[in-house]
Amino acid sequence: MIALSLLVPAATAVWLLGAGRALPHPMVNRVSLAASVLTLAGVLGAVLTRPSIDRSWVPSLGLRWQLAVDGISAPLLLMTALLGVAVVVHTARRPPEGGTSAAFHACLLLVETGALATFYARDAVLFFVAFEIVLVPMWVLITRFGDAHRPEARADAGARFVLYTVLGSTLMLLGILALVTSAGTADLDVLARGDGSGIPEHTQLLIAVALVSGLAVKVPLFPAHTWLPPAHTIAPTAGSVLLAAVLLKMGTYGLVRLPIAVVPDAFAKLAPILAVVGAIGILWGGLACLVERDLKRLVAYSSVAHMGFVALGLASGTQTGMQAALFANVAHGVVSALLFFVVGGLKERWGSADLTAARAALREVSPRLGFALVVGLAASLGLPGLAGFWGEFLGLYAVWSPAAGLPLVVLRGAAVAGALGTVLAAAYALRVARLVWAGERLEPVIADSRGAEWAVVASLVAAALVLGILPQLLLSATADAVAALVGGGA
Amino acid sequence: MTSLVSLDALTLGPVLAVAAGAALVLLLDVVAPRLRGAHFALGAVSLTAGMALAVPGALGSESTPLRTLCLPAPVGACFYEAGPLASALQLGALASALVVLLLVWPAGRAQTPQLRGGPAVLVALVLSATAGAAAVAAAHDLGSWLVALELATLPAIALVALRGTRPAGAGALSLLTTSLVSFAMVVLGAALWLVASGTPVFSSGAVERALRGEDTRAVLLLAVLLLVGGLGFKLSLVPFHAWTPQAYAGGTEPVAAFLAATSKIAALAALVVVLRPLSQVGAPVLVAIGVLAALSMTVGNVLALVQDDPVRLLAWSTVAQAGWVILPLATLSPGGLAASGGYLLAYAVATLVAFTVVTMVSAAAAPLDPQALASPAPPHGRTLAAYRGLLRTRPLLGAALGLALVSLAGLPPGVLGLVAKVVALRPVVGEGMWVLALVAVANAVIGVAVYLRWFAVLLQEPEPTRGPVPRAGRGPVAALTLTGAALVLTSVAPQLLLGLLA
Repeated sequence: MIALSLLVPAATAVWLLGAGRALPHPMVNRVSLAASVLTLAGVLGAVLTRPSIDRSWVPSLGLRWQLAVDGISAPLLLMTALLGVAVVVHTARRPPEGGTSAAFHACLLLVETGALATFYARDAVLFFVAFEIVLVPMWVLITRFGDAHRPEARADAGARFVLYTVLGSTLMLLGILALVTSAGTADLDVLARGDGSGIPEHTQLLIAVALVSGLAVKVPLFPAHTWLPPAHTIAPTAGSVLLAAVLLKMGTYGLVRLPIAVVPDAFAKLAPILAVVGAIGILWGGLACLVERDLKRLVAYSSVAHMGFVALGLASGTQTGMQAALFANVAHGVVSALLFFVVGGLKERWGSADLTAARAALREVSPRLGFALVVGLAASLGLPGLAGFWGEFLGLYAVWSPAAGLPLVVLRGAAVAGALGTVLAAAYALRVARLVWAGERLEPVIADSRGAEWAVVASLVAAALVLGILPQLLLSATADAVAALVGGGA
Repeated sequence: MTSLVSLDALTLGPVLAVAAGAALVLLLDVVAPRLRGAHFALGAVSLTAGMALAVPGALGSESTPLRTLCLPAPVGACFYEAGPLASALQLGALASALVVLLLVWPAGRAQTPQLRGGPAVLVALVLSATAGAAAVAAAHDLGSWLVALELATLPAIALVALRGTRPAGAGALSLLTTSLVSFAMVVLGAALWLVASGTPVFSSGAVERALRGEDTRAVLLLAVLLLVGGLGFKLSLVPFHAWTPQAYAGGTEPVAAFLAATSKIAALAALVVVLRPLSQVGAPVLVAIGVLAALSMTVGNVLALVQDDPVRLLAWSTVAQAGWVILPLATLSPGGLAASGGYLLAYAVATLVAFTVVTMVSAAAAPLDPQALASPAPPHGRTLAAYRGLLRTRPLLGAALGLALVSLAGLPPGVLGLVAKVVALRPVVGEGMWVLALVAVANAVIGVAVYLRWFAVLLQEPEPTRGPVPRAGRGPVAALTLTGAALVLTSVAPQLLLGLLA
């Protein structure tokens, strides 16, 4: 099952790049759809049956194909596979600009493969390798298939994305190598059981610093977030969705899997810094959203804020915090995917995403898109009953009452800042709703969403509602794994 | 009469086959000067034979290397010792020379006017330099080590000069000058080594004794420094790198490929021979090597970032990659030596693919134009702009070059380069050399910028005003098939390459 869900998209991508280069767009799209649905089936099977693979790959490095599924990775795997289908469906009537359709779909499938492999990986070095797979295809998506009007900005955004991420992942590699050489194994499960015992204390701290700082670039946390707004703004809609919903999760997932699980004591020393950085990110993102003129960039900044909440949850060191972080991860995946689909669609129809230009009110001319936008914004500001609420609420609660031994003042300060951030979120969400959704203007008319686009958007709206009303679905899935990871706690 | 030293021709095979090939090619030229293709075929056969004979050594174990040229019993020292690492480096040197030979293979009736002296001289030079590279990897005493090192260097200078243009002359001259200086340093280092250890054979026992003595220790470390410096010239380490871009850009593309692959393997093999006895006795960390590594990476990468001639870009990338190659040597652990060899071989595979594509693109842009050769300006096709849309116009070439570039950058799908980077960083992190590791991280980032800059050109829309692409010669196509297949295979299963060294 695991092998199926990795090999199908990878092989399809290679085939598209090789033999299928000249195929017409509808054909390519159908092949990719079949591949992504098959991948989804494989992931579903893997999540239900929980198989594992352990096969040697590079013995002289001790590198193994060690893949498995547990409660922490299962929701992320499902989300990745579902969004993998969604982006292909969404592209059905949109032949990509800037290159061949085959290359575009191959890049989407490769990003999906890399993300799935990252979530499956149980070998620390393999985790790093999988982590890197997404880079080149995503770079191609940004620099070749991004905003067609701005070639300079495309090159710049792509370069920023790839260079920042390589910096982060190579730092993470240092941490992984230090961990593997001092612990003598790269098996993440064994490492997690060991809790860092046997590694000298200051080496543990160095490992944690390398891992956290490396992954913080990917998440991204303040001040390493500056690659994110240009990348999200320039990328094509499918690319933005994968970036926000899947790639950012690889960073937070890495934080849970590596430093928190493996060197918990050293991570606890860094937790206050993480909380402060997360709180700054929440405020910074919120403030940027209040003045941002480009709608796509605004959604990107709101991602920075949301990732700040995830960081707060992780920093608390409690089971609740961890659960909140994992929940916020998935919720942000759903909500940001929804928002990027809607905003990307609007940008296509408007020709730009400038908020200062006069537009027809969405609620008048395209009620479906308008509704989806409002749901997305409401979920994004953390309205109860929608997906965004539980992650933020539980995260703030957890960081207000953190695990014993953490500096209470710092964490509570971060909690207050985070709460302020939710106010900012409400302010910018209402700003966007007022500018784009409300009003009486009927000119210029834009087409409403229908067909494949509406199917994708509507199912994401439904997912945001389901996660908001029945959070237990997700919380219970991660509970056991989190309990095993944190052990005790609140 | 018993001979002074024992001789096992099969063990010496990787060197003997290639050296004999060089002699036979010259002989053939005397006997039948009109047979032009035969020289290349003879060269290819001797290189293949040498590779086959190097395989047993590569499959052996480090503790029981293949030995020959041994002195009689009471002394028992051997002048030729090929363990897995040495044999793997021999294999790499021979295979890359074979690729170079394929690149200069004459295309049908048309002769290659780019090199003077005719095919015999060209093939003989390539083969003798390769024989030197194979010999230096397994040399186990100062005398044969020095001779082999020079044998690996001097023909390469002639190869650069053979093109006969003014830039080629300048490149050859600068290569010659630096080689002389480096030879002087190496000889001085060898003399000091002899003084310190008291034996001309590289043995860990003698080194251990020398390190214990107060006076001899200082002399030995000075000797190592001089040897590292002298070899630094050949490896293009900063600050001994200045000849590299001149010689690469001056010579033809296949010669640059030879300098980038075979010559670099020879230089590292020579360095490994010197450092192995030191690593076996657990000598202290060599800060000097770490500094050279950090400088080379940084200078090489930063200057590669602003090049517009692909050959010069690859030249500066060699400088940067040489830094990565010696990075694990800074720890002087036995694992460090193998890691360094592994990184170099991975680099050689990727860079040979890149040079093969560069050769083919340049040949297509300026098909054997004698006018262009005479002018001092860089030939047409030697700018990054010539690669616009290569993935569209010539998909196979573009894909091969793209894979080589991401491999050099250390990003998937060039998994080989990524794994090589892990291999090179592991000993450094394991020994806790965090400053060096952070410099390496910064350079990993700049390196990605260097190679993706070129990769982005491949992805662009092709220029519409292109005529039909001239057919590539059979030799370069064979070279591309060989190196491309090697790169793809080792990316899927890096163990194929790294397993040679363990």
